[in-house]
Amino acid sequence: MDGVHDMGGMHGFGAVPVEDEPVFHEPWEGRTVGLMIATAAAGLRQGSIRPGIEAIDPATYLGSTYFERWAASVESGLIDAGTLTSAEIDARAEAPEPPRDHRDDTNADMVNWLKGALINRPHGPSGDDVPARFDVGDRVTVKRMAPVGHHRCPRYIRGATGTVTRLPGGWPHASGDGPPEATYTVRFAMTDLWGDDAEPGWLSIDLWERYLE
Amino acid sequence: MSDSHGHHPKPKTPTQQRVEAIEALLVERGLITSDVVDAIVETYEHDVGPMNGARVVAKARVDPEYRARLLEDGTSAVGELGFGGAEGEHLVVLENTEDVHHVVVCTLCSCYPWPVLGLPPHWYKSFAYRSRMVREPRAVLAEFGTTVPDDVEMQVWDSSAEVRYMVLPLAPDDVAGRSEDELAGLVTRDHMIGVVR
Repeated sequence: MDGVHDMGGMHGFGAVPVEDEPVFHEPWEGRTVGLMIATAAAGLRQGSIRPGIEAIDPATYLGSTYFERWAASVESGLIDAGTLTSAEIDARAEAPEPPRDHRDDTNADMVNWLKGALINRPHGPSGDDVPARFDVGDRVTVKRMAPVGHHRCPRYIRGATGTVTRLPGGWPHASGDGPPEATYTVRFAMTDLWGDDAEPGWLSIDLWERYLE
Repeated sequence: MSDSHGHHPKPKTPTQQRVEAIEALLVERGLITSDVVDAIVETYEHDVGPMNGARVVAKARVDPEYRARLLEDGTSAVGELGFGGAEGEHLVVLENTEDVHHVVVCTLCSCYPWPVLGLPPHWYKSFAYRSRMVREPRAVLAEFGTTVPDDVEMQVWDSSAEVRYMVLPLAPDDVAGRSEDELAGLVTRDHMIGVVR
């Protein structure tokens, strides 16, 4: 979907807040990351949290912090998967209470598997064998479109023409539908994106084949 | 400054209450265990961070064959040092030179090479960085105190699909006199994102 998360090129957000901050400001932020990974690994919700983040209404998205958006998406994912209901989360949040009856609250096998997977998981197939319509050096134009579902084609490159510089491999499209599809690293001149007054230089981005012509 | 209010816990935000409710419900039903969540938090607070990427960079400084492998296949090369996994399944390393400067952003969310850099810093996730880096990189770099000479080509990378990017920063002049540990100590997270040259 073309939501407010698609920020490339927008004006008005001011200076970058360059100050260093801890990985997690508050313990609940760490719990949110832990729940995001653990619930996906346990099959309690569908893997990617991005579609749920993009579905947050624009005013809420802009008014919330990064981990608040994650938390909202983990919650909506658990509800969509039928793991929890909105009503039971509401009720528990209004009457907070630590977990009851959790004598077996340990799972050493999953801890060990996850620790290994997060730190050094053998990487999956690169998708090198996926057929590709374009090759390095080809000039490609990003289609004009208004896709409804989850995608990874920002607005600021649509209609622009660039050059394929690399074929990283093929993977199922971000929306999860269909077989692996070729992706391309495409390089654009800054002036082709932002006009003659642009800072000189180049912008490279990885794009699925369906976005290109 | 008075610390007299420090004994009163801050009121919980609605999000914090909901996250705690979700964890409690899942644990109670035996769907997850808290030690699994603890392990993930500990991993990203202590085990995975820019010190990993700094080791990769330092090895590339002292071992030209490793450097060549790193630039050819980043995923395999960082895997040689035991780094890999979530958000680093397909890693491409971009080499800064006297003629080219690379810098990495994710405009759509905050894609970032976790196994070598850890979780992204606050500013990398900010709307200002996400919106502006692709349009006015030199102006953004100036806010980090970084000036890239006009005759150096600017290359901005918007992480949008499956590949995650890390920058191999310019080497110091005196590499020959330094140990790999010393070299690792000179490399910062900001060098490997490309906001510092």
